[in-house]
Amino acid sequence: MPDVQPLVNGFLSQLKKRKIEGSQATAKQTAEVLRSVISQQRLPHTNQAGALIDAVRAVGEQLIAANPVEIAVGNIVRRVLHIIREEDLSLATDAIAGLGISAGSDDEDDVEQDDHPVLSAAAVAAAARSTLRPPSLQTLLEDMPDSAAVPHTSSSGGESEGKSRSADKGSRGRKLKHDVIEAVNDLIQDISTCHEQIAEQAVEHIHHNEVILTLGSSRTVLEFLCAAKEKKRSFRVFVVEGAPRYQGHVLAKDLAARGLQATVITDSAVFAMISRVNMVIVGAHAVMANGGVIAPVGLNMVALAAQRHAVPFVVLAGSHKLCPLYPHNPEVLLNELRSPSELLDFGEFSDCLDSASGAGSLHVVNPAFDYVPPKLVSLFITDTGGHNPSYMYRLIADYYSADDLVVKGRTTAGS
Amino acid sequence: MWYRSASFILDNRQQNVAALAPDTLSISPPGGTTRTSMADTFQNPNPNPVISAYYQTRAAHHGVITSDWLAQAQAATDQNSDPNAISASDVRVSDPDKPFSVIDEFNDWRKQPDLAEAVAAIRALAAVIRSSKATTMMELEIELKKASDSLKSWDETSISLTAGCDLFMRYVTRTAALEYEDFNSAKSRLIERAEKFGEISYKARKVIAMLAQDFIFDGCTILVHGYSRVVLEVLKLAAQNKKLFRVFCTEGRPDRSGLRLSNELAKLDIPVKLLIDSAVAYTMDEVDMVFVGADGVVESGGIINMMGTYQTALVAHSMNKPVYVAAESYKFARLYPLDQKDLAPAPIPIEFGVPVPSKVEIERSARDYTPPQYLTLLFTDLGVLTPSVVSDELIQLYL
Repeated sequence: MPDVQPLVNGFLSQLKKRKIEGSQATAKQTAEVLRSVISQQRLPHTNQAGALIDAVRAVGEQLIAANPVEIAVGNIVRRVLHIIREEDLSLATDAIAGLGISAGSDDEDDVEQDDHPVLSAAAVAAAARSTLRPPSLQTLLEDMPDSAAVPHTSSSGGESEGKSRSADKGSRGRKLKHDVIEAVNDLIQDISTCHEQIAEQAVEHIHHNEVILTLGSSRTVLEFLCAAKEKKRSFRVFVVEGAPRYQGHVLAKDLAARGLQATVITDSAVFAMISRVNMVIVGAHAVMANGGVIAPVGLNMVALAAQRHAVPFVVLAGSHKLCPLYPHNPEVLLNELRSPSELLDFGEFSDCLDSASGAGSLHVVNPAFDYVPPKLVSLFITDTGGHNPSYMYRLIADYYSADDLVVKGRTTAGS
Repeated sequence: MWYRSASFILDNRQQNVAALAPDTLSISPPGGTTRTSMADTFQNPNPNPVISAYYQTRAAHHGVITSDWLAQAQAATDQNSDPNAISASDVRVSDPDKPFSVIDEFNDWRKQPDLAEAVAAIRALAAVIRSSKATTMMELEIELKKASDSLKSWDETSISLTAGCDLFMRYVTRTAALEYEDFNSAKSRLIERAEKFGEISYKARKVIAMLAQDFIFDGCTILVHGYSRVVLEVLKLAAQNKKLFRVFCTEGRPDRSGLRLSNELAKLDIPVKLLIDSAVAYTMDEVDMVFVGADGVVESGGIINMMGTYQTALVAHSMNKPVYVAAESYKFARLYPLDQKDLAPAPIPIEFGVPVPSKVEIERSARDYTPPQYLTLLFTDLGVLTPSVVSDELIQLYL
């Protein structure tokens, strides 16, 4: 662990100083940091998954606290925790399968033990499977008596394994670690290729002679539009400039450079132009469990305008932006107030900004994000395809396990 | 029928009436007060009682009712038990020595105010298993099926009863864990699970209360309609967590269960204000969220709950206030009502304080259906769900 501490600290200070921003960059870096945490973690003989989970959780808690606004960090921490659980489970079921086969092969030696371990192994497998599954009606009656046994099935499986085949001990630990690192590598790969995956679907959504409206700058949107352009679709793009950072200007420039017809409009012109628009396509900062979107400031207004004219409001989001929490959750810090210098020039307004002297008390509030409620969103396009806002919970159930939702609360309660 | 709907549920019900009692087919649209419940039950041999037993029990447990109505309700239930004994006879056939009726068993459990309806149903089915003389799993299954059918037909208005029976039957018929064991241990395991179900139900309420805590913030005003044990549990836990909030309780006519809730809340030192049911819209702008329980959660994600929930949700929706539903997952029912009249009506006695002229009709339904678009989130023991998750869960379970 001490070997990774400098790495973690470096990333922490980058997050704290807002040196590193944007959900993709933070997500990727988080995954990389956690990967090195996992590879450096020394594993005990029993309950290896537990040790890994504790280590990742401890680091994850610090990372989340460093910049709570970057929700992607928390998402990746939870994803990695889920990966560890999954890999541990698949190893455990493999081991059980091996146990069953071996018990079948040498049944002359231990006949009286024979049928017992097979049965219990099946029960353990069933119980372990149910730990990863979110609670459901199906397991309502089945799980109750086992629920006490469930948390330490993985450890007890490891113990019995360890006792029976002591030579396996080390190799299994290495196997778990290896598998987890492999899966985290896949995750990093997914994060870096999510743009392409989303862009592949562009032709299904953008048609000839359509007018698209977008706000601010998002790399996903840029790639999406360019992918449609490459497939010989000709369409026009209205780019809302997105005050106060005016990232729309950057996007418009990029689009024009790639030969797309781009038109820049001011934020206040959205409603005037929306009636001519066929589809609104925007990026997101994070997608919450109820299908609500945390997005660059100004998007709620665009969504309302789109709803007024029944224009489809499409949100592009890589799967690392899916957050398993609800926006009501106090753990989710929805907004960040940025520097007023983006709005006002300090030299010109310094007199009235100085509230200490009492001469003037001009306040500048510069929030970074908007919340768009799920009912205003028509479609989410993620790397796995297009989804309805009400379907988000399903994706979240695939990516996260219910035990990891509270990364912070659990550790503080435990310590 | 002027309110004939597209749904087969209603048609089915009418066919049943026709099949069982051709002479009572010409039931006029619900008559006035002159039609006393007792007389009607007496004529009507169909197992569907004129007075909803479920809502009667609810009223007895949670409501504040004047004594004469309670007496009348008692009389109505007594009358009901006559045809029921007949419908239970098929269960008795399998056990000729000791007369045993699921329905009596169920009613015994149902009388306990702390016990949820589904728990009572599952306990009753456990009693069937215990008294059964079946020697194979198949026999036991058939016996259970008969018992659960007679239970379900005895009180069609109780959604938890139906859902509880279905859930248990699903467990009996499709659980892989039972396949490993011999008959006797499987039987004892089933009984054990059934006994544990009370605990599951209790735990579910605790889980829901925990989940809902994130949504109650300091200084908020919560409107509650009707008496629900889960909602009470949520509010109780919030008060224990030192959250500062106030509660508006509707009166909850006709059983006035809101009075009971306000009483319970006042005991917990939660600031509480009592409203008449028609004051919901008047107070809505002060309200931050609406909390309701549910008698049943249907496949669309909508809920069936005490009369007035629909209008409360509509008002909240039009004023952009969130409507939260707290319901245990065993209340998920395989129903898909298209409109209000799609449900079998669950009539209850309604007191107006003065004699109502015989020509005046009275709407006696105890419950209404709130479509999913007016609900924000469901708090269940499966987690915080959007209404669309409900159908998903049900499909996973029963498909």
